[in-house]
Amino acid sequence: MRFTITRQNLHNGLVAVSASIPSKTTLPVLSNILFSTDGDGIWMNGTDLDVAVRVRVPAEVLESGNLTAPGRKLQEITRELPDHPVEVTTQNDQIELRCGRSHFKLNGLPADEFPTLPSVGFDEGWTVKGGDLQRLIHHTSFAVSTEESRPILNGVLWELSSSEMRMVATNGHRLARMTMPIGSSTATGADFIVPPAALQQVQRLFRDEDDLSVSRSGNHLGFCSGGTEVYTRLIDGAFPNYEQVIPKDNDKHAIVEKRALESAVRRMAVVASDQTHRIRMAFEEGKVHLNVLTPDLGEGHDELELEYQGQELEIGFNANYLLEVLRYMPTDEVRLTFQAPERAATLEPVSESDDKIDYLCLVMPLRLLD
Amino acid sequence: MTPNIAVLPDVVANQIAAGEVVERPASLVKELVENALDANAKRIEIQVEGGGKRLVRVSDDGTGMGREDAVLCVDRHATSKIKNADDLRHIDSFGFRGEALPSIAAVSRLTLETAEGEEVGTRVRVEGGRVVGVEDHPRRRGTTVEVRTLFFNAPARARFLRSVSVEARAVNEVVTGLALANPEVGFTVLSDTRTLLELSPASDLGERISGLWGEGAARTLLAVDSFAHGIHLGGLVQRPDAATPGLRRALLVVNGRPFREPSLLKAADRAYQTTVPPGARPWLFLELALPPGAVDVNVHPAKAEVRFRDGAAIEDAVETGVREALTRVSSAATLDGAPERPRLVDRERAPDAQTALFVPVHAPGPPPEEEAEGFAMIGERSRLFQLHHTYILAETRDGLFVIDQHAAHERVLFERLMTAFDEGGQPGQRLLFPLTLSLPPAEYQRVEELQGILERAGFEVAGFGGDTVIVHAVPDPHPWFDPERCFREMVEELTQGSELVRSARTQHERIGKTFACKAAIKAGQHLSQEEMAELFDALFATELPWHDVHGRPTVVRLTTTELARKFGR
Repeated sequence: MRFTITRQNLHNGLVAVSASIPSKTTLPVLSNILFSTDGDGIWMNGTDLDVAVRVRVPAEVLESGNLTAPGRKLQEITRELPDHPVEVTTQNDQIELRCGRSHFKLNGLPADEFPTLPSVGFDEGWTVKGGDLQRLIHHTSFAVSTEESRPILNGVLWELSSSEMRMVATNGHRLARMTMPIGSSTATGADFIVPPAALQQVQRLFRDEDDLSVSRSGNHLGFCSGGTEVYTRLIDGAFPNYEQVIPKDNDKHAIVEKRALESAVRRMAVVASDQTHRIRMAFEEGKVHLNVLTPDLGEGHDELELEYQGQELEIGFNANYLLEVLRYMPTDEVRLTFQAPERAATLEPVSESDDKIDYLCLVMPLRLLD
Repeated sequence: MTPNIAVLPDVVANQIAAGEVVERPASLVKELVENALDANAKRIEIQVEGGGKRLVRVSDDGTGMGREDAVLCVDRHATSKIKNADDLRHIDSFGFRGEALPSIAAVSRLTLETAEGEEVGTRVRVEGGRVVGVEDHPRRRGTTVEVRTLFFNAPARARFLRSVSVEARAVNEVVTGLALANPEVGFTVLSDTRTLLELSPASDLGERISGLWGEGAARTLLAVDSFAHGIHLGGLVQRPDAATPGLRRALLVVNGRPFREPSLLKAADRAYQTTVPPGARPWLFLELALPPGAVDVNVHPAKAEVRFRDGAAIEDAVETGVREALTRVSSAATLDGAPERPRLVDRERAPDAQTALFVPVHAPGPPPEEEAEGFAMIGERSRLFQLHHTYILAETRDGLFVIDQHAAHERVLFERLMTAFDEGGQPGQRLLFPLTLSLPPAEYQRVEELQGILERAGFEVAGFGGDTVIVHAVPDPHPWFDPERCFREMVEELTQGSELVRSARTQHERIGKTFACKAAIKAGQHLSQEEMAELFDALFATELPWHDVHGRPTVVRLTTTELARKFGR
């Protein structure tokens, strides 16, 4: 294999791919990047076996071929190279870089030791706007579970239909759901459970204005735009029926300024037990009282004005869950709904304009003991 | 007609009293050694032959007696130690009844040699209670009492004596107890030609224990020092990680007097709850100092038992005093080959008074600061290092802590839940997707019985009919918590029973321990700096940070002293 490439192109490709390389691995070839020539460019591949990233950069190919070579080393070298064309050649299992007076030889491994990437055809699938996808990911993936006994909840549910797409994530204590219209599709509806690590790569590699093709093949999902591709293994199984747990009959409504509530809850959290992070909220007409009482530490009381409709209600929350959900609310005002102290509360953005944001978060309360 | 009732001659009365005071050579040795201690002896030599059946000789270098006293002391109720009934309430000497010597003399051939130092000494010979000779006898200051052929005139009693080796061992036990209670006195015990004990005067209890059972044993102990409600508790108890089942060395001393009281040992064991594995019996050497009026030592002829005016307060003082010692860093397990021997906090003692007898009864003031034991981190927040995703290493002022993350979290969760129980319970996080669990019948029944207390632990459980329960709310102790597994394992253990479950004293503790054990972060869990710091802080906010709930250590210490030793610095 022999090609000449600009330092910038080489570096861009390496940066994009090497972030998908596992930092520790028992399989040495996984710390390498697979280079393969393709017409007037080269493909670079990196994977940790769960998520794969593939990037094509222009190059002047003089002799076709392929080889794997240490990803991070190459990236570190390229970062410091002068801005001259880089000549890359391979000799047996060695890769050789020449750039100006710099000359490096690094030991690689044969290309056939590199895991085969899933083949996903992008002829059939969905086209989504990069920006839309980013927003969905941003507003939902924080809610995935870190606890490993229910792998389903370690992923984000992504539902796609011909007209809209929706992401849902939950750890069983709180839930985030967001829905958006979709650009176009050639496929019928489908749903996937996507590992958050793959979504992170999507967030990192694609820009808002990119049109992404999304397609599924077997147990893999592919994202593709321009010369950048991300593949991921999907999580197997059925996501719990989230619609069923989203309350429809919450009859108590509050509209509150997000910043003020955030700030009050954060103040309360200082005094809350560092185990349960429990705060109490007592809603009544025109205001909410916030209370914390932690034996051995002390107590805190606060009051906040808001619009409230419904019977008076006292409810307890884990302050962290509440703060997390509030952080992702995209509007200045937030609507909260409740039914009873042991039932789910919902939070939704309140927007003045016509383009309503279909976003809903749900927080399960902490049981109050008296 | 002669009356049926006659006043017994003294000789007979003394023989009867001897039955209570002198049971066997060991009890005789106890009386004689106590007399020697009352006489301010600094060295006491005990010699027995034939297990004491043939000969018991106790020599001391105490104050000795003049001739008149020497003759009088073999008379019943002749004592130098109290004058009237009022003094009985303020006894601070070992003997006071004036029974011992006459009782012994009544059942043996006794020779007493004594000298006060200046004049020539006296020798008194008594046979079966009758003085048969008083003569000059030169000797240096002190007293020697020689008792030959014990029970020569009471064959019925002689028959109850055991073999030579059993009696010799009993003598040794008695002297060991007195030696522990009086470390500043030197003791020698000879049985026939064998030296059973050779103890030079020691500066404190730790040194005495080291003399008795070796330096290694002394180094497994830690000092107790507490003062509350007029009761001072001092002494040494064993580090929980060194406590094993089996032989227990224990000694209780009140105002310098050894005594037996199983309920106080039980109180100390209660203090060890959760810090030692079930069945482990830590060594306990506890010294109580309280105003003489608060304790009655005149309830047992051999004075082996005492009666406290307020027994519950004493038990409480022992439990809280020992527990307080277990909260200190010195109670943590250690990696060191040979940590320092504990130093007893020396309460001021009148230098020339008999230390064992005149223990100060006034308030000794607050215990000294634990400055030497400080484990404060170097700098504000030292870097914590996680080893194999299982242990946390933390730098301390005098070395290194190795913290077992699971054990540490167990302690934290246990104490939090126990505190929460006191306040009504810990909150449960309601679940979006309640757990539906099908259980074996026995476990289902157990859940039904425990429903209320499980709810206060954060598990809101409802029956679903059949063998199925629904869990609506669960505790939320950390982000990797698997509530289903925790609940199932808890219920299984509570149903099947386990050492942990049996070691709990109350239903709350049972739930607390099993919950802590099942819910704590596991070994193998990667922790961030913040998470480690949070765990570290939470651990040291608990009452007993050094011990988990199974009786295993949470922390193992390595001191720079030991490192220096290892590197030969």
